[in-house]
Amino acid sequence: MSESIIRYSGRQARAIKTFLGRFLGYGGAQVGLVCLAFFIVVAAVPDILVGPLQTAINATGEFLAPPSSQHVLGTDEVGRDVLNLVVHGARISLTIALLATVISLVVGTTIGMTAGYYGGVVDVWLMRFTDFFFVMPSFVLALVITPVVVEVIGRGQEILGFRPSLFVILVVIGMTSWAFVARIVRSQTLSLKERTFIDRARVVGSSNFSIMVRHILPNLVPQIAANGALVVAGAIFVETSLSFLGLGDPLQPSWGTLLSLAQRAGAASAGAWWYLGAPGACVLTVSLSFVLIGNALDDTFNPRRRVIP
Amino acid sequence: MPDTANILQLESLQVHFPIQGGLFDRVLGRPAGAVRAVDGIDLSVGRGEIVALVGESGSGKTTVGRVITKLAQPTGGKMLFEGRDMTSVQRASALRPYRHRVQMIFQDAYQALNPRHTIFDIVAEPLRSLRLVDNRKQLADRVSEALASAGLNPPGDFFARFPHELSGGQRQRVVIAGALAVKPELIVADEPVSMLDVSIRAQILQVLVDLRHKHNMALLFITHDLPLAWLIADRIAVLYLGKLVEIGSADEITFQPRHPYTVALLNATPQMGGDAGRAEVPALQGEVPSAARVPKGCRFHPRCPLAFDRCRQEEPPPIEVGPKHLAACWLAN
Ligand SMILES: Nc1ncnc2c1ncn2[C@@H]1O[C@H](COP(=O)(O)OP(=O)(O)OP(=O)(O)O)[C@@H](O)[C@H]1O
Ligand code: SF4
Ligand SMILES: [Mg+2]
Repeated sequence: MSESIIRYSGRQARAIKTFLGRFLGYGGAQVGLVCLAFFIVVAAVPDILVGPLQTAINATGEFLAPPSSQHVLGTDEVGRDVLNLVVHGARISLTIALLATVISLVVGTTIGMTAGYYGGVVDVWLMRFTDFFFVMPSFVLALVITPVVVEVIGRGQEILGFRPSLFVILVVIGMTSWAFVARIVRSQTLSLKERTFIDRARVVGSSNFSIMVRHILPNLVPQIAANGALVVAGAIFVETSLSFLGLGDPLQPSWGTLLSLAQRAGAASAGAWWYLGAPGACVLTVSLSFVLIGNALDDTFNPRRRVIP
Repeated sequence: MPDTANILQLESLQVHFPIQGGLFDRVLGRPAGAVRAVDGIDLSVGRGEIVALVGESGSGKTTVGRVITKLAQPTGGKMLFEGRDMTSVQRASALRPYRHRVQMIFQDAYQALNPRHTIFDIVAEPLRSLRLVDNRKQLADRVSEALASAGLNPPGDFFARFPHELSGGQRQRVVIAGALAVKPELIVADEPVSMLDVSIRAQILQVLVDLRHKHNMALLFITHDLPLAWLIADRIAVLYLGKLVEIGSADEITFQPRHPYTVALLNATPQMGGDAGRAEVPALQGEVPSAARVPKGCRFHPRCPLAFDRCRQEEPPPIEVGPKHLAACWLAN
């Protein structure tokens, strides 16, 4: 037995190697992964790179000073170092985007797979429910949820390390992006469940649950992975726009919050391009990396059939 | 020796698939109609007996197999297993004992195997889901045993492989091993060799025939190939457009066919054609009509060279033309 188990893992390793070989063969994947690795390192150890987050109190620079040797990315309207803010913002932005994506993938996959597998009434109602969330504007949802969350947990408290407004953003992104995942997963499940191996699984006595978990889910992984990367890109954008609209938290500034602060400080009219440019460039780079990775995953899994929504 | 007691009995089994009428039909209140895939079949399979179900494409063979394996729900009639009515049993837990005793072999083995599972997991799946083993050791033993009876030797070499790493014949053996693993009493084999090279067919058929001898397993063998049916089966049932037109012992159906359709099928196969003592019937003309528009009267009449007026009006009942030999034709007696 143990011998075959060893060979089994050998085979798995070989399959993973072939997959990585093909995936890394795409230029887009290389660019995306390098950029992403850079930002993940930055987000992991901001204090080591640029020291603790600066506030109006411990700010050291001039007001809105252009980039110089001391402040590589200039300063903001209260004299804080923009590089310091952007590096700390990376952690907030990435954490929110990734957590929101996890919520969205878990909810979207569960609902999409259940709807597609059971069909009939279950499908009709679950998809109505999904469509409701599909068309729901995230901003409106955030406006509705914010007071509720603040009321329930109290102002100034933290949930799982997030201040209420950030927690709201996290939940809102999760709630508005799963519908996209659910639709894709459902359509894929509809075609998977017609496959003969599902019939065989039923004949050999597998329960519906085990058919979904052991037969359908593993065959959904390519779709989920490729679209998951796109969901992250979308989540970063939504996070940025919600924060830009003022739903962020100035005490835990994300890139969107910085853009919003820059906008309110009149950075554009004052010609302070570094203040708007730095967080803006970060948002664009990270979203683009995830899109590139998502497309490369999609190409790796289905080399011929290329569908980017 | 086949036992006389029936293990499976189909009584006027009927499977109609509703046709979604277009908007036009619905506005005019026209009935949408149905595809009459299986249109009233009486068929029994004895313990340890091999029964072949023969018919052209679209005659409803697979649908019968899917009803027996509880993958499709009949719209009428009854299905009895060892005398117990299984027609309306649908809950997974209630079906478990049935699944333990009735298994299926699929036509396209490549499609029937999950590409992401190893051969071990595939053959172990029925044992795990039906809870037939207590520990890993037992599981490994049963899987080895099943792979070996399906002719995959040594079994251990196949445990860690994936379906795409096997040949077509080996894949079909894996499907057979999965069915054998639970030691069923009835196996429905839906065209198990039609996708395989001629050179491998005989070996796979041998595996199936051996099962009956070793384990007294009954087999419902679905095929479109009448000579093959004669080779392997005790009895042959000929299906045409969802109805049995003739049923009898393999020898009688092959050498004394009484239904013009059976005769035409036999004439269409070179190695069996031109036997003495058989009515002179020209080869079959035209396509099988759609099961959505079954002809009135005898459903074979548009293609039957012997058709006369009565055939276009009245449907012939099965007529006993010999011991346990029925034919549904006005000219049968
Ligand atoms: N799920 C379904 N919905 C509607 N019609 C169906 C369905 N399944 C089968 N049919 C129809 O029922 C008829 C019989 O189909 P079936 O697959 O049982 O034939 P078959 O004898 O197995 O043919 P083949 O030799 O091609 O496999 C066909 O006309 C088919 O189109
Ligand atoms: S009943 Fe008539 S049409 Fe039908 S098979 Fe017999 S002769 Fe042909
Ligand atoms: Mg078929």
